[in-house]
Order: sequence, then structure tokens, then C-alpha cells
Amino acid sequence: MKKSNKYIGLMSGVALSLALGACGPQESGEGSSGGEAAEEQDRELIVWEDIEKADGIRDAVAQFEEENDVTITIVEKPYAQQIEDLRLDGPGGTGPDVLTMAGDQIGTAVIEGLVKEVAVEEDVQSIYTDAAMQSQMVDGKVYGLPKAVESTILYYNKDLITEEELPATLEEWYEYSKETATGDQFGFLALFDQIYYAQSVMSGYGGYIFGQDADGNYDPTDVGLNNEGSIEGANYIQKFYDEGLFPAGIIGEQGINVLESLFTEGKAAAIISGPWNVDPFTDAGVNFGMAKLPELDNGENMSSFIGVKSYNVSAYSENAELAEELLVFLANEENSRTRFEETQEVPAVEALANDPVVAESEVAQAVAEQSIFAELTPNIPSMNEVWTPADSALQTIATGKAEPEDALNQAVETIEGQIEATHGGN
Amino acid sequence: MQARKIALLLSILPGLGQFYNKQWIKGLLFLGFGISFFVVFGDLLNMGFWGLATLGTEVPRDNSIFLLAEGLIAIIVTIFGLAFYYVNLRDAYKNGQRRDENRPMSSLKRDYQNLIAQGYPYLISGPSLFILIFAVIFPILFSFALAFTNYDLYHSPPANLADWVGFDTFAKIFTVDIWRSTFFSVLGWTVIWTLVASTLQVALGIFMAVLVNQKDLRFKKFYRTVLVLPWAVPGFVTILIFAGLFNDSFGAINNDILAMVGIDAIPWLTDENWTKLALILMQGWLGFPFIFLVTTGVLQSIPDDLYEAARIDGASIFAQFRNITMPMILIATAPVIITQYTFNFNNFNIIYLFNGGGPSVPGSTAGGTDILVSWIYKLTLQSSQYSLAAALTILLSVFVIAIALWQFRRTDAFKEGA
Repeated sequence: MKKSNKYIGLMSGVALSLALGACGPQESGEGSSGGEAAEEQDRELIVWEDIEKADGIRDAVAQFEEENDVTITIVEKPYAQQIEDLRLDGPGGTGPDVLTMAGDQIGTAVIEGLVKEVAVEEDVQSIYTDAAMQSQMVDGKVYGLPKAVESTILYYNKDLITEEELPATLEEWYEYSKETATGDQFGFLALFDQIYYAQSVMSGYGGYIFGQDADGNYDPTDVGLNNEGSIEGANYIQKFYDEGLFPAGIIGEQGINVLESLFTEGKAAAIISGPWNVDPFTDAGVNFGMAKLPELDNGENMSSFIGVKSYNVSAYSENAELAEELLVFLANEENSRTRFEETQEVPAVEALANDPVVAESEVAQAVAEQSIFAELTPNIPSMNEVWTPADSALQTIATGKAEPEDALNQAVETIEGQIEATHGGN
Repeated sequence: MQARKIALLLSILPGLGQFYNKQWIKGLLFLGFGISFFVVFGDLLNMGFWGLATLGTEVPRDNSIFLLAEGLIAIIVTIFGLAFYYVNLRDAYKNGQRRDENRPMSSLKRDYQNLIAQGYPYLISGPSLFILIFAVIFPILFSFALAFTNYDLYHSPPANLADWVGFDTFAKIFTVDIWRSTFFSVLGWTVIWTLVASTLQVALGIFMAVLVNQKDLRFKKFYRTVLVLPWAVPGFVTILIFAGLFNDSFGAINNDILAMVGIDAIPWLTDENWTKLALILMQGWLGFPFIFLVTTGVLQSIPDDLYEAARIDGASIFAQFRNITMPMILIATAPVIITQYTFNFNNFNIIYLFNGGGPSVPGSTAGGTDILVSWIYKLTLQSSQYSLAAALTILLSVFVIAIALWQFRRTDAFKEGA
């Protein structure tokens, strides 16, 4: 019995090594030439649109279908999640041809090779605002077209403060908050424990996240979050928390919910938030107005991050040329206007800023005005390492656990360490 | 040459040995299976083993991650194939031996009857074993394998290929400063959290069960229902509601409950230690009903005679509890209690939903209350560090498995093949 096992084992080994000979794919670059024929027959495109935003492009899509004799399927998906889904659906063959995503994800998507470079003419590019177009560029190449822009703006409760009374500077808001704030009533509130909001102040004093060269390329080795301006800004931020003008309850993970409910309950006169809150606040029955962010006491306007939502072509698209045409068509001036009428997403087309449809909208106006002072969220992958340490530092500043200078120095150290560890050598 | 050796040698090609033994049908079956195995799985095996060895050589044709998955499936299929091959060789050898000894060979019918008679349990559990291999073993192998690659943002398909890097990722955890310091501080809290939170919920559950089980207590059903309620509400709802209640400035706990007794507001969500306390208390609240139920069941099965005898011997109530009740409970519920510990070790929900692992602590890449799983989750999502996350997962499983094994062995929970 023992002996037989030895024989059997030996022979299994022989057989296995025989079977393993000559492995691997026999041909390389499969399907690169076979694709042409398929392209002719199957003229179908899939578009991933943001959730509840499909109405904005339905007419445009129908028109494009007719003109180009294609069938287009629109699928709604939360835009922040599309790139994630593309990673699996793309190679699986069920992915989109055109998708939408946030401008600051493009750097990552390009490195992973998930989106295609698009060849759009100079005259197409020039209809968008510079900043919006800039967000679609990586190393000087264009990877998409802007669909909509977002920026944080000031919401104020008209029952508590009128448009005429609106303080023009943050310092005046500070005074206003001091006068009006009682235990459960607040003046001006913002989530300054998060870099997304706090950068508005810190950048106004000269702080920056990544240094930029003359062409606008970011330098991940130059982190400016602990420079003089950033520290000055953080010091300024801290006094709101120190003096109890910002309650501790709006700090941290659940802070945003608390902030928004304070505003809808009429317990806060003004808050900083994004255009995504127009509908919720309207539904909540708040009598509110919108404006650009106030000025700082050094005369600079508060900055903000512009978020650009874009249309991009999937690298897995089998009809890339057609998809590219669709991309240009969807993002053109006329369709941008229609989309704004349907979905209230502020278009990135420069000429539309003065279009009556857009100009009459308070939110679009506020976003457009604020955009002048806004900066792009850096779209390089190293930005992923910034959010958490920067938020942590600001949170410890807000809770008074750390001095701004120490906290920011430490944050930059962590950020640089993380960038070195995860992006180093690339 | 002996027939068994000839049969064995011929069986290198499945079926030939059986033909030599003049077992035509069986031979045909083996041959048929053998050929169809290679026809059906040939491509998979070819691509799989090549992919597993190289993880792809050319972009965008090769997708390292898919190749890795394919390779693992190929390995599993190969193991099945080898098992079949072994059966084939063994059968040829056995029957050859029978020929040598001039005994009648086992016919197909006999084999079948043998299989039904002796192998019935295996036959029945076969299909579920098969599913288990693909639903449980395959994903584990996959994440295990990922830990030994350099799969991250810069080595992601379709633009780039991943590569095998051996133990580099593990080495990184312990050599890169920010990761090492974070790893150990997170591990420390994870262990404390596991021990304290689980012990609290178990102790509370047993205590309540013993209390409610007292003979003289009236309205037992009422108490039992109330005590099980925390379990009846979905956990995530409870956690989110608690997150609101614990809010520093607006939560009911600070504003109403503590203010009523004259205690100043406590920074539940902005101070690391208070958040930890809140988490442990909440987990006690969420976790005790289960233990309470199990213990109640055990208590009702303890025969009264034991207590009667103890009373006659003059044992005090505490002596009765210590020498009768407690051992009975522990023997019966030990496996359940151990699973509470392993569950809390990986209790992602409560940590993540309550305060997102926060509040922040200076100079750390994890929040003050992050446990290993929630930290791994953040790492993967925010920095696309897939291989690092896989490596950490392995370390984490090693801990859980070691603790569980040690406890199971100590308590002899699975003695007697139960």
C-alpha cells in the first residue's frame, strides 16, 4: 500500500509537468484588428449619467440617436461611484462608453488607464471656462469635457438676516455671530474642521495644497498646508471655535448633518455649503438666499474649491469615435443650457454665465460669482493622501487639542510620508 | 512483470490500465473523463497557470487581476483533476494486484455498491463542498495572493500590470514609519476594544439572565421581552441614533440626561477617550440580549435537584452561583462567547457608523477609535492600496484565528466531535 502511493505520486508529478508545457496565450494583441467589423454592426452606446440627472440629457440623446443612427442607453449611477464601477464593468464588457465623474478623480483614472484621451479641437475647448477646462487636462492632454461646476457658496436665512444687512467680510460675520449667538442660536457657521471648507480661508491668506509650475502642473513634493498663510488662516479659524461661536457639535463625522439641520431649523443665520443643498433647503421650507463667500480682512475674497463634473470616454469603449462625438455634443453650449434648465447644474460654458436662463437663477449666479475666486481641487493622485491628515489637523485645531502651527506641521509631515510611501518612485 | 505495475504504468493515460485489466466500461469511463477534462479545461489551465506565473506581460491585453483569479481557479481545477487521476491510478493498481493474487476483480457494479455503502456521507456532502470551495476558499486564496503582489494605483489594469513582490508589502507595514506607528496603535486599541466590549456584553447578558430567572420574580415574560428589544432593532439604526444622542452640543445625553443630574457636557465625539467609552457602552447595549437569550435557555435546563442538594449541604447563594450556575452556563455557551470576541475584533459597523473612527488624533493616519478593519477599509478606499489592505487582512486573520483557536482549545468547546 505504501509503495503504491509512492508510485502514484511519482507518476502524478510526471503527468503534471507534461500538462504544464507550452503555457500562455498563443497570440498577442487579440482583437485589435477584429474590432472594425464589430463596430459597423453594433452601433450602440451606453451613457452613465449622474443619479436623477438623466432628464437633463434625454432630449440631446434622442437627437444624437437620430442623427447618427445609434441606440443609446442611459443608466443612472451616483457620479462619485462611476469610476469604481468602471474598473469591473469595463473589462467585463458591460461598461459605459461615456461616463461622468468628478474632476479631481481624473488624475487617478488616467494613471489607471480607465479613460481615453479625447481629440477635441481648440475651438471646442475654448467655450468652457479656463478653470473647468484645466480640470480635464493631465500632462497637457485632454481627457474629457466639463459638464457642470460646483463651488461652495453662502446660504443665509432671510428671516434672520436681510440681503442688505449681509456682512461683506468674514470679520464682520464674526462680530455678527458674537452679537447674535446665544446658547442655541447661531450666527455664521461653517465646517472649518474640514479642508474642503477651511481651504477657503487658508488659501485667502496665501496657503496652498500643492505648488504649481507655470503650466499649472501640480508638484506633489511642495505641500503648502503649513506655510505662513495656512497657519494664519488656521489661527483665524480657531477663534470661531474657541469663543464658542461654532459649537463642538458641528465638528467631526456627523457635523454636516448637524450643520444642515441647524440651518433648516432657523437656528443658524448663515452657513457655507454647496449647490447640492438648494433642493433640500427648499423642501424644508427655509426662506433662504445665496451669495458668494465674504471677503477676508486682508482684502482677498474667500476662496473655494471648484468641483467640475465632466463627461469622459471609457478606455473600454468599442465605439470610441462615436462616443467622442457624443461627448462633444452633450457638453456643447445648447445642451448645457437645456441641462441647466432641467437639473439646475451650473454649466461650465463661459457664454452661458450671461445667458438669461442662468443669470436669473440665484444659485447659478452665486456659483458663477464665487468661481472667480475659486481654485481647482488638485487632480493628481497624491491629493488622495491630503484629505484625511488635513481634516485631522483641522479637527484638532477646532477642538483646541493642538495649536494650529503644530497641527499643520504634523499634517504636512503625515501627508509627505503618505505620498512617499504610496506614490513614491512614480 | 507484475500485473499491478503494468496496470499502473499504463494508467498514466487514464483508462489504459483498466483496459489492460480487461475492464472495458470502466476504462472507457476513465478515458472519457480524462479527455474531456483537457478539452473543457485546457484553455483555462493554459491561461491560468501562465497568468499566475507572469501576471500578464502586455498591456492592455492582459489584466493582471483577472489573470490572477483565473490562475487560482486553474489551481482548484487541477486539484480536482489530480484527485481524479489518483483514483484512476489506484483503481488500476488495485485490480492489477487482484490479478496477481488471482482474485476476482472488482466490477463496476461492486464499485458502485461500495461507494453507496461506504461513501454515502461524502457523496451527499460533495456538492456543498464544491460550492464551499468557490464561495469561501477561492476568495480567501484570492485576497491571500493579492498580499504578495504590488497591486495598487500604479499597478492597476488596464494601463499597468501588477507583479509578484513576495513579502515586500508585509515588510513595508513594519518599515514605513507612518504605517508602523499607526499599525501598532490601532492594534492596541483593537485588542482593548475586543476584550472590554465583549466581556461587558457577556457579563451583562449573563447577569441579566440570572436576575430575570430568579424564582420569585414576577412578570418574567415582560422583562425578557424588554431586554431583548435592543436586539430587535437593526444595529445600524441604533448606532446612528446613538450618534445623534451623543452629540457634544445638541445630543440628548449631554443636554437632558447629564444636565439633569448637574454634570457638565462631556465631549463624547471630540475626545478620543470619551468616544471609546461611548463605543464600549453602546456595544454592551447592542450585544447583551443575545447572550441573555442563550443563557436563559441554559438556566432553564439546569435541574433543580442540584440546587436542592446544595441547599441541604448548606451552600450559600453565592456558592451555588459559583459552583453550579456559572460552570453550567460556561460549559454550554463557551463557543458562543468566543464568537462574541472574534465578532467584536472585526466589528466594523459600530466603529464606522458612530464616529467614522474619529475623533482625529494628531500625527496618525487612523482616527482615534479606528480598529484594524476600519483602518484597512479607509486605506483601500482612499489610497487604492489594495495589496497593503490584503496584507493587513492576513495579519488580522492570523490574530483572530490564533485567539479563537487558543480559546477553543482551552475550553474544550468542540470536544467529542460536537
